[in-house]
Parts: sequence; structure tokens; C-alpha cells
Amino acid sequence: MKDLSIIAPLYNEEECVRFLYEAIVRVVDPLQLDHEILFVDDGSRDETFRVALELAERDKRLRVIRFRRNFGQTPAMAAGIDHARGKILITMDGDLQNDPEDIPRFIEKIQEGFDIVCGWREKRQDKLITRKIPSIVANWLIGKVTGVPIRDNGCSLKAYRAEVVKAIPLYSEMHRFIPAMASIAGSRIAEIPVRHHARKYGKSKYGLSRIYKVLLDLLMIKTIVSFGSRPMLWFGGISFLAFFGSMITFAYAIVRWNRAEGDSLVVLNGTALLLGALAVFLLFAGSLGELAYKTGNLKMTVLAVIRATFTGFEKPQREE
Amino acid sequence: MEPAIDISVIVPVVERYDDVAELYGLYKKGLEDSGKSHEFIYVLDGDFEEAAAILKRLIAGGEKIKVIKLARWFGEATALTVGIQHSRGNVILTLPAYQQIEASEIPRLVDSLKDCDMVIARRWPRKDSLLNRFQSGIFHILLNPVSEFKFHDIGCGVRVIRKPVAQEINIYGDQHRFLPILAHKYGFRVREVNALQSRSDIRKRIYSPGTYARRILDIFSILFLVKFTKKPLRFFGILGSSVFTAGFLILLYLLFIKVFQGVGLAGRPIMLLGTLLVVLGVQLFAIGLLAEIIIFTHAKDIKEYTIDQIIN
Repeated sequence: MKDLSIIAPLYNEEECVRFLYEAIVRVVDPLQLDHEILFVDDGSRDETFRVALELAERDKRLRVIRFRRNFGQTPAMAAGIDHARGKILITMDGDLQNDPEDIPRFIEKIQEGFDIVCGWREKRQDKLITRKIPSIVANWLIGKVTGVPIRDNGCSLKAYRAEVVKAIPLYSEMHRFIPAMASIAGSRIAEIPVRHHARKYGKSKYGLSRIYKVLLDLLMIKTIVSFGSRPMLWFGGISFLAFFGSMITFAYAIVRWNRAEGDSLVVLNGTALLLGALAVFLLFAGSLGELAYKTGNLKMTVLAVIRATFTGFEKPQREE
Repeated sequence: MEPAIDISVIVPVVERYDDVAELYGLYKKGLEDSGKSHEFIYVLDGDFEEAAAILKRLIAGGEKIKVIKLARWFGEATALTVGIQHSRGNVILTLPAYQQIEASEIPRLVDSLKDCDMVIARRWPRKDSLLNRFQSGIFHILLNPVSEFKFHDIGCGVRVIRKPVAQEINIYGDQHRFLPILAHKYGFRVREVNALQSRSDIRKRIYSPGTYARRILDIFSILFLVKFTKKPLRFFGILGSSVFTAGFLILLYLLFIKVFQGVGLAGRPIMLLGTLLVVLGVQLFAIGLLAEIIIFTHAKDIKEYTIDQIIN
């Protein structure tokens, strides 16, 4: 087990690799920690891998993971996290927009007892309309909905306690929601301002189209977070609403029927039946959800134990 | 472990097949012309007694053919996958069990792989009936916006694939047609190469209505596979919320005329439609959420990435 792993995904960053490596080494070496650097080559088409390989031949603390093809930023982060051997994990962009100089402050925060430390690009060097404003709106929304108010979810520079982040499922574009998901486990989350540089090399790889995706992802996270591990409650609640609506409509139909307006029956009773059917459907959907949790490998108990405090036990239950 | 060879030829025998011995002769000639070492693997998708008997006779006659017989029908894509698993070649060449292209085109197809990851043959110039060309044209017009690649002949079973690429793409059942689409989507370099259409391929084919329905469903499943497997809520969510909104607007209108114009709800059958749409919308959304929960709770099993190598 090492003290520190630094993870950087690389995609077509041939100009940046060497600078990035040197910048990280310059900062991390004086810290006197047993560390490793993980470069994840996300199927680059250029010379990225060759350059990284040259560096790795000279420095055994640099590990390079090469993907078979391009998978995207989140899978690259996930691979880095899966293969990291450190107790503290730090993720950062491979394009030199984050500054390795900030790393020591992240480590301090983790040592203070936080589980996740997020970077906040206070003076962000990006385009205002296409990058900054959507990001402000998205972050505000994410904060409101998940209850984890973080000013800059999109910043890649983050530090994690390894046992926490390794327990969190990470897929598709979920890296943005790691703090929100970690809050399920009752993690302590801190945020510190970081430096941010404009891109020197290469092109930005994102666009404006992400807003709608973020919205749906958010809804998903919200449901998962508020489920805890009991989807039945959630589906059951909506099912009850539908059932209630059905009963009201049905009662209304009976009242109308007593006034001898027979032609109204089909419409009102039809509505009542539809809502009733929805109620039944949702009940079954809820039990399917339970089944998914039961067969899945997301161990809620693992998440729960990570941050739990144990008093009166002979041995401490978890390693610090 | 036997030494690696250049090309593994995989011939899946599914439903339709032409004279096995004759076709084998043609293919073999084509491969020998390419001058590369090769092996033949026939995968029988279920009981094909006649084809199996002919293959047995060919083997008895000294031909080096490997035959894999599946215990029952699993679909062409599964047959291909099994064939790939048991192949030794660095490059996979899939050939249909019936005539689609002239076997003399094989060397050229294999050579055009070069820096690409996959080469698919396009039967061109087309010599078959107008009806067939029309059918195929319509299918590709529908398919191409979904696949984001200009395919002309996805139905042609002649494909040259690098083995690591073939192993990367997970197909099963009936999805063999999707192989190039998925390969392209995954970021592999796919190239379409024209090949002469075989003479025996030029007859009029009219399929059962069921086949046409399946092709349409194919497009739908490609859309889902390519775009939304990891994020089902994006797919169902957009569908569900639009249906829900339509129904909600209808109900809102009814409420409006009930409150302000005193029109009774009971006399408005459109209320049924409104409710139905709302119910359907909620259901679609619920399905999307369920799918998402399944992915979420299994995410630690589903590795989204495959690693080529790890240094240090």
C-alpha cells in the first residue's frame, strides 16, 4: 500500500505528457511520501503512449495504463482508481489546465479528516458563454438537488480517500457526481480553490450539448441517493398517489351516476381504471428495483461502514 | 498452444447455405491466391446434418477444416463469436455459407486491411433485381443516420477484422449485422471496399413480412445499443417525458374549461387519452429508472474499459 497515487487520464496529449510528468514530480518529490503516478492513455491516436512509455522506463513510480481504444474520461478515471495502490488518490486533467502545485494542499485537507476534497477553479480560464455560464447553472442545480453544494463539480482536480472512492460505482459520465454519491455514505467533503490555466496545447474536447445529459443524470442520482437502498418505498409512494387518484375519480363517477347522467360513466371509470393500472404497474416496478439491488454488487453496508464510528470495540474497525 | 497464423476463415452455417463443397473449393482457391497461411473454421448453428456430412467427407478427403457444431440454434452472431474464440489467426475473415461475392476478390479484400481495423465488403456493382436493391436502399437510408457511418451493404457477410478488435465487440444472437456499426462506434477504423457480386447471388429474394419487421426492430436496437446502453434513462426519459407532457397538457386544458367554462369532465372522452398518455409517460420513465438502477447496482461488475497493457 502506497501513501499517494496521482491519476491523470490522457487523450491525444503528446505535447503535454512530459511537462505534466515533470510538474508532478517537482511537486510530489519534496513531500517524502511513497507515491505513484498513473497515466491512463485513453486510446490516443498520437504519440502520447510512446512518450509516456519513455518516461516510465526511467521512473518505476510512473505507471501507464493503455486502453485498447478511446473510452472517455470517466472510464479512464475509473481505471486509474481501480488500479491505484495509494491510500490517497488524486485525479487531475491530463491537459495541464490543473496545476500540480495545488496537490500538497489537497493532501493536507485529506489528512485533516476529509474523505473528498474538490478543486474549485476560482478564476476559470475558459470561454464565458459556452463553458462558464452552463457550468455555473449546472453546479447550482446539482447542489440544490443532491444537497451537496459544490461550486465546481466539473473540476477534475480532486483528492479522495481510497476506500471511499473505490466503493463508488463509476461509469458513463458519472465522475461529476462522485461527491454526491459519496454523500450517501455520509462522507465529509471539502472544497478548496485551485489555479486554472488556459489550454496551451490541443483542443477542448467538450461542448454545450451536455446540459440535457446532466439534467437526466442528476435526476438519476437524486433518485438513487434518496432511495437509499429501498426503491420499493419510492415507487410505492408514486403508486399510492396513482391509486389515490384512481379512487377519487371512481368516487366522482359514482356521485355523477347517482344523478342519472349515464353517458359520463365510460370516461370517468376509464380514467379511474387507467390510474389503477398505473398503481399496480408501479408496485411491480418497485419490486423489480428491489431485485436489482439484491442481485447487484453495490454493497450498501460497505458504504455505511466506511464512515461509521465504532465505540467500545477492542480493535478499531477500519484502518486509518 | 499452436503457432499463430495469418488468417482464420470463419464460415457460419445458419439457415441458408449453398453447396458446401463447391463453395469451400472457391473460398480455398481465393485464400491460396492471397498467399497467406490460413485455417478454415465452419460453425454449424444447430443440426445441419447434410452440411455436416459434406464437411466430414471433405475432412476425410484430406482437407484441413475445423468444424464447431453448436448444440442448438443460437443465432449467427453467437456462431461467429464462438468461431472467433477458437481461432488462431491474427486476422479474422468471415465468409457467408452462401454465395455473395466472387471468391477471386478475397485476396484484394484481405490486402486492403492495411492500417484499418476492419474491412467490410460492399457488393458493387449490384446485379440483382430492382426490388432487392430498392429494399436494401431503404434500409440503409434508415440505418445510416443511426450508425453515423455511410454503410452501403451491411447485409454482406464478408468482413475482414483484426482479432483484438473482433474480441472487443460483444455480439450475440442476431446482431451480426451490427458488427461494423459497433466497431465504428467504438472508435475502430472501418473501411468499405467494393467487391464483385457473385453470379449466384443475383436472384430475386422476397422475404416474409416477419423479416422486414425484424429489420426495422434491428434499427431500433442499434439505436439503443449504440447510444443508450450505459444511460438508459436518457433514452426512456426523453420518450417518457414527451409523452407525459402531451397528456398533461390535455388534462390541463380540460381542467381549464371545467373551471372557467363549466364544461363537465365526464362528457369529454379526450380525458381518457390525456390520462392514458400521462400513465404511459410515467411507465416509460419508471422503466428507464429501473434500467438505470440495474446498471448502477452492477456497475462494479461491468468494466467499461478494456486494457491493452499496463507498464510498471
